Amino acid sequence: MNTDADHLHEDHKTGIMRWITTTNHKDIGTLYLFLSLTMFFVGGAMALIIRAELFQPGLQLVNPDFFNQMTTMHALIMIFGALMPALVGLANWQIPLMIGAPDMALPRLNNWSFWILPFALGMLGSTLFFEGGAPAAGWTLYPPLVLQGGDALPYAIFSIHLLGLSSILGAINIIATILNMRAPGMTLMKMPMFVWTWLITAFLLIAVMPVLAGAVTMLLTDRFFGTSFFTASGGGDPVMFQHIFWFFGHPEVYILILPAFGVISTIIPTFSRKKLFGYDSMVYATASIALLSFIVWAHHMFTVGMPLAGEIFFMMTTMLIAVPTGVKVFNWIATMWKGSMTFETPMLFSLAFIVLFTIGGFSGLMMAITPVDFQYHDTYFIVAHFHYVLVPGSVFAVIAAVYFWLPKWTGKMYDETLGKTHFWLTTIFVNITFFPQHFVGLAGMPRRIPDYAVQFTDFNAISTIGSFGFGIAQILFLYILYKTLKQDVTADNKVWEGAEGLEWTLPSPPPYHSFEEPPKVE
Amino acid sequence: MNKKIKTYYLLTAFTIFMFGFSYMLVPIYEVFCEITGLNGKTGSINSTLVIEKPVERFVRVQFTSNVINSAPFKFSPGKKEMVIQPGKIYTTFYTLTNQSNQPLLATANPSITPGKYAEYFKKIECFCFTHQQINANETKELAVQFIVDKKLPSEATSLVLAYTMFDITKQLGYKLEK
Repeated sequence: MNTDADHLHEDHKTGIMRWITTTNHKDIGTLYLFLSLTMFFVGGAMALIIRAELFQPGLQLVNPDFFNQMTTMHALIMIFGALMPALVGLANWQIPLMIGAPDMALPRLNNWSFWILPFALGMLGSTLFFEGGAPAAGWTLYPPLVLQGGDALPYAIFSIHLLGLSSILGAINIIATILNMRAPGMTLMKMPMFVWTWLITAFLLIAVMPVLAGAVTMLLTDRFFGTSFFTASGGGDPVMFQHIFWFFGHPEVYILILPAFGVISTIIPTFSRKKLFGYDSMVYATASIALLSFIVWAHHMFTVGMPLAGEIFFMMTTMLIAVPTGVKVFNWIATMWKGSMTFETPMLFSLAFIVLFTIGGFSGLMMAITPVDFQYHDTYFIVAHFHYVLVPGSVFAVIAAVYFWLPKWTGKMYDETLGKTHFWLTTIFVNITFFPQHFVGLAGMPRRIPDYAVQFTDFNAISTIGSFGFGIAQILFLYILYKTLKQDVTADNKVWEGAEGLEWTLPSPPPYHSFEEPPKVE
Repeated sequence: MNKKIKTYYLLTAFTIFMFGFSYMLVPIYEVFCEITGLNGKTGSINSTLVIEKPVERFVRVQFTSNVINSAPFKFSPGKKEMVIQPGKIYTTFYTLTNQSNQPLLATANPSITPGKYAEYFKKIECFCFTHQQINANETKELAVQFIVDKKLPSEATSLVLAYTMFDITKQLGYKLEK
């Protein structure tokens, strides 16, 4: 075993080829996280173009068609380019360390699932330079509008195929790792919560990504090969696309949030210096959320004209999801109850997560009520809702995870004062950006429009100022990362006083090949 | 077999199954629409529909027409309205005129309102979904033969049959005959 490991040590390449040919989970995790960070800024720049245009009513900076391209590309890049790679990157780094495995189960597949991504995103991005521009019918790609766009459509569809393929391969790898490579003694119910949430997320990914692939393939054949899945003139039905899309889409939003739940369930106990309250109920709650996600999809389309029974069914099942989600929120709060809490940067982000994600959850619950959803549908209220669950939800969890594990990954401690500054700027500006959107939404401002009625001006101006503040705060984040890597302040192996788990038994940074001898778990 | 590889194969098979499932959703959706009468899809024909002595009951059937995306068609029902008896066969027609100077390919979609009675409205002959070639400035009469099922619930006193005409020359223009 030892000779084998020494051999591997000498074998790994240096320079650029190290990153292209790597099969090491730590390297691949790093690649994912860097790609995600890059795409976070690309997607963020698009968001700022949108917000800049919306600073005032009327058309100032961009033409409406380009505006629509920006809303579409911002969503696709943030979901498939920034958030999902960030979560997969965390999984790559952490899952083998947390379950005491030497690497991922299928290392070469792992290399593939990462290296598909830059090409897929490159293809998607290249459509911006096409005649007729990038896809502009929204990230949901609803026909018939999406079928009337320019030449960008087939490119966008192939890139979605590739992005989906990458996610599926990543998910297969994660499941194969978790099911087969846990250290002796680590039963399923002893796994860290982050590993549990990723196991469930990976199953969701495998279940729904192929459905998205199917839906976009039908779009492709409708456009180019004369099929009529969604073309009304051939007897197809555009509403069917919405059903198939949201059969993928709703589990997809839980794919984006469940690993975030896992991160929060790791950080809150660490800084409360207590065990996670209600571990078992956390596992069951996560699994229930995942299962329920398959039977609620039509709440995204209450206004298409469903039978009353359908509206009631989807309303009830949607509201039911609040129960397991509530279990999680109460468990986090109970974990902190009478704990010896300290407030380092990862903890601050996690606390903000709990408060702000819950606000997003409540506005979701409001929209679950069918009769009032007719008012909220396709307004800025939904924009405020999903940004509250995705930005101070998933994105905050990713940032918290980076602050939490960065000292472990690099062996270097970040600057706590700067970290806290980053936290406060981010949290204040995220609320300035998205909170006013609730108000304009309730007052009737539609989403995905470059111009609006003058009564919405003030709140939109506030929102735009907030978004630029949020953007600048993330440049501080870049600086913090840069400073951490360049400085000499080292982190000790355990990093955090209250930290528990196998990853903290390793040195900081962990050796290139860790847990070659599986650790024993009591 | 190595356990990891076995997991990999199982999950790959599941992925392929789910891709197939996305296509299975199409027929599932069709069946669902048929059962619930969503989309106003009309019912299928069988020989027991025609009855010798139609019940003394009258239903108003109204005819409407639409043209999609301002295609150069004039499209209208021959009669705006008929009063019919369930269990009897009726024939009516729509008129379609090509107002442009070139041959076009047209196709029409039917829909019944209210949707929940759609299954009781059966079309014996209909021009729906067929690709009609219509030459420049030509006018065609398109026949519809239909029967309303005697089982039509008694609260239904009027039905609307709507046809939407599409210009599909762009997509399928190569089918045009010279």
